Amino acid sequence: MDKVFQIDDLNLFYDDFQALKHIDLEIYRNKITALIGPSGCGKSTFIRCLNRMNDLIDGVKMDGCIRFDDEVCNLDGYDVINLRKRVGMVFQKPNPFPMSIFDNIAYGPRRQGVKDKATLKETVIKSLKQAALYDEVKDDLNKSALSLSGGQQQRLCIARALAMEPEVLLMDEPTSALDPIATQKIEALISELKEKYTIVIVTHSMQQAARISDYTAFFYMGELREYDATDKIFKAPKLKQTEDYITGRFG
Amino acid sequence: MRTKSYRLSKIDSITENGLSIFAVISASMIVLISLFITLKGILPFITDNDGLGSVNLFRFLTSTVWLKGETFVSTAYGAGFLVVQTLYIAFLSLMLAFPIGVLTALFIAKIAPKNIARIFRTIIELLTAIPSIVFGLVGAGLILPWVYRLARAFNFQSGGGNGTLSVVIVLALMSIPTITAVSEVAIRSVDRSLEDASLALGATASQTRFKITLLAAKSGIFSSAILAIGRALGEATAISLVAGNARSGPNFGLFDITSTITSTMLQGMKETSGIDYDIRFSLGILLMVVILVTNLALNFVKKKVGNMHD
Amino acid sequence: MTKKVKILGMVLDGFTYFSAILTALALFMIMGFVFRNGFSLLSFDLLTKDYHANHYVATLNEDESITFTNPGIDEGYFVERYGIIINDTKNLSGDTIIEVIYVEEYSPFNALNNQNDQIIALEEGMLLSRVTYEEHPTSLTNRGAYSMAEDLNNEDRVIREVMFSTVGGGIRGSLIATLYLIGLTLMIAMPFGILSAVYLNEFAPNNKLTRTIRSFIETLTGVPSIIFGLLGITVFVPITSSLTQANGSNLIAGALTLSVILLPVIIRTTEEALRVVPNEHRFASLALGANHTQTTFKVVLPQALSGILTATFLAIGRIIGESAALIFVLGTAIKDRVSVFESATPLAVHIWSMMTDEPANIALSSTVAIIILSIVLILNIGIKLSVFFWNRKRSVS
Repeated sequence: MDKVFQIDDLNLFYDDFQALKHIDLEIYRNKITALIGPSGCGKSTFIRCLNRMNDLIDGVKMDGCIRFDDEVCNLDGYDVINLRKRVGMVFQKPNPFPMSIFDNIAYGPRRQGVKDKATLKETVIKSLKQAALYDEVKDDLNKSALSLSGGQQQRLCIARALAMEPEVLLMDEPTSALDPIATQKIEALISELKEKYTIVIVTHSMQQAARISDYTAFFYMGELREYDATDKIFKAPKLKQTEDYITGRFG
Repeated sequence: MRTKSYRLSKIDSITENGLSIFAVISASMIVLISLFITLKGILPFITDNDGLGSVNLFRFLTSTVWLKGETFVSTAYGAGFLVVQTLYIAFLSLMLAFPIGVLTALFIAKIAPKNIARIFRTIIELLTAIPSIVFGLVGAGLILPWVYRLARAFNFQSGGGNGTLSVVIVLALMSIPTITAVSEVAIRSVDRSLEDASLALGATASQTRFKITLLAAKSGIFSSAILAIGRALGEATAISLVAGNARSGPNFGLFDITSTITSTMLQGMKETSGIDYDIRFSLGILLMVVILVTNLALNFVKKKVGNMHD
Repeated sequence: MTKKVKILGMVLDGFTYFSAILTALALFMIMGFVFRNGFSLLSFDLLTKDYHANHYVATLNEDESITFTNPGIDEGYFVERYGIIINDTKNLSGDTIIEVIYVEEYSPFNALNNQNDQIIALEEGMLLSRVTYEEHPTSLTNRGAYSMAEDLNNEDRVIREVMFSTVGGGIRGSLIATLYLIGLTLMIAMPFGILSAVYLNEFAPNNKLTRTIRSFIETLTGVPSIIFGLLGITVFVPITSSLTQANGSNLIAGALTLSVILLPVIIRTTEEALRVVPNEHRFASLALGANHTQTTFKVVLPQALSGILTATFLAIGRIIGESAALIFVLGTAIKDRVSVFESATPLAVHIWSMMTDEPANIALSSTVAIIILSIVLILNIGIKLSVFFWNRKRSVS
């Protein structure tokens, strides 16, 4: 299977506190990989390593190797801007910019220098369709993004990320701030998206991981305890700790 | 906080009523001010001014000359040009101070490392604490010679450096701390996740700052401008020392001497009665009207601009 | 990332750094100017001398020919005939003048006759302006101290008249006026503001009237200070003139004017301090059977003291810096003898008075500005400290 990310012996420190310990992991192309584990286990920290968002935090130190798409270990001197064009991110709380729907989605391409109105319009419509939002907003793309419902806003954020035509989509608990119906819609969307994109999703909900992911990684206290095909993890976990977590005995 | 059944005893009633007097008197101060100044300020227009005749209101509001004729003899006062000059100067100084102030706030809130940010916040605090007379002193001692030399270099006539440019520079110096302080708070309270989203899309830190952060903080930043303009319109002593006291106008040239409503109020207070004295109250009314209208207009614009996509 | 986008980013960042540097530069420029121009004049004398120079014209009592011995002072030129030492020095405008450094106890210059036949003395620190003689050319200042000393020592010369003056340029009067003003204003404004704040925060019902009162008080902050000056001359000056021995502008009217300016600041800061006092304390007091008045004044208000202290520092800073309103209410006449029933110029107005003179006295104005800025700086530190202690108290309790 085609590997998109190869992570070898990744360690991450917030000043003196070690948040990630010796993580070895592969992310496979066009698959959905779920990261599960109790609060504070490092799964959000890990996913933010993949698009180097941790660089923005003071006092963060990393060592080890993250290989993206067979390129060199990219912990030093890597073109972060370029990386983020190819690895997109959707956040836990929907965070549309205080602009119109159109401007939100066109933001990324515009920053890269795309000015042609026709191109932008095409990109916006395409992204909205991919995010299954187009039909609901097509009548007025100039409406403020903040006037949309929570679920719609999150799909807007997904469309916004897709407008960059990334190869990977990172999602940090994308439905935890949404109601069940919106959650359902987004889960369906994610399942569709894996045809074109590789998806890594952090989730607090075991059920969600079991429903939509192909691979599941169980994190605990900064370590990767178990990583396997979702079926195996949920039906026959190797570690007792994994089984305890999945059945809700802790976390 | 007032607990529910608070009149526990007669003493409390007495206290409450007694204290309320203080609060009511404090509140009535603005009424007192408006009343007295309006009364005294209208007098020149409706009375005979001891036989000199009343001042023509229309001419007062539109004239381009402060006084035609002798002081205490003539009633041909005109303040129209003063209003134009006052607004002109205030907005020019805002145009100078606003970008510098907002960018400094951006620097402090987003770019500077913690200890440098702290130093800059102290610098802003100190600038805010400097009284306006000291700004006037520095204006007269430092800015005037500079402007004079600048004018000479371009072969312009300038009244010793006194004039619009000097006033604008001094007012801008006084406005920058206000704009920076208020804008910095607004910028700092922008939701981090908006900036994260922008960066995650591959935008640079610089693009994020200018396209997202400033946009999200625009309401607070606009408020800082309104605050600054309010103070610029009411500033008196600092302006008077560098304006040159033009008695007619309106003067728009950067090196022309100029005047404002406030600087004219301060000029040549010779007597404490008579029409030349009373007319200052009329100027006071005019000043309050200008400030009120400007505030209303700017707040209206703020609401309009703010309503898009908020 | 296109090249254009990159360049635009760099330009914008450049402007950002540039603006910050400009702002810092502005502060240093202002401080630098004030200190450079005013530091040399800063002296203890400045704080204690009169502003206005007093001029004297006098004649000698008797021309006793005692020869005096040089007391051994290095500076200046010794006039052994009269027992004084004079020296060249510069006045505040930079002109050369002749200063009297030393006067012997028995010098005839110690007992001169002025025009009213009173005995006055030429004192150390005074300036000798001119000495006229019978049948000899006058000794003038512009010829210098050496020349004047020579003339005086000349046995042939008989003195007709001596003209001398005090130096002036001192700010004692204005300093005292400032202190009076601060004292009076605080005495009026603090109680008024604090009690208003206590009412609004502790006793006032949450209804439209209270909201109206609050908004009326808030509108005062948007009023430029020159307008308060108008209020001062129309209302406070006449009132104080009729109620007290004052006649026209006076410091009490100035204090009343300043109090109105300070009201919103004091009320706002005090209300904040009161709001921060936890409700538990109020409940505890009431639960012990105290009434609301006792609770407020014995329990709540004492806890708000550091906030009130902050308000006081803010008020003092505002008083010292106020100029426009006081120019109207107090006028611009600098006084050496200060009484609260008369007008005088606090430091800020003193600067205005000097700067609107012909020619403007930038040097001395800068010196006064140094004093004002120093006080403001100390007050700011005071505010920071009182806020620090206030926060510490809150976290401990």
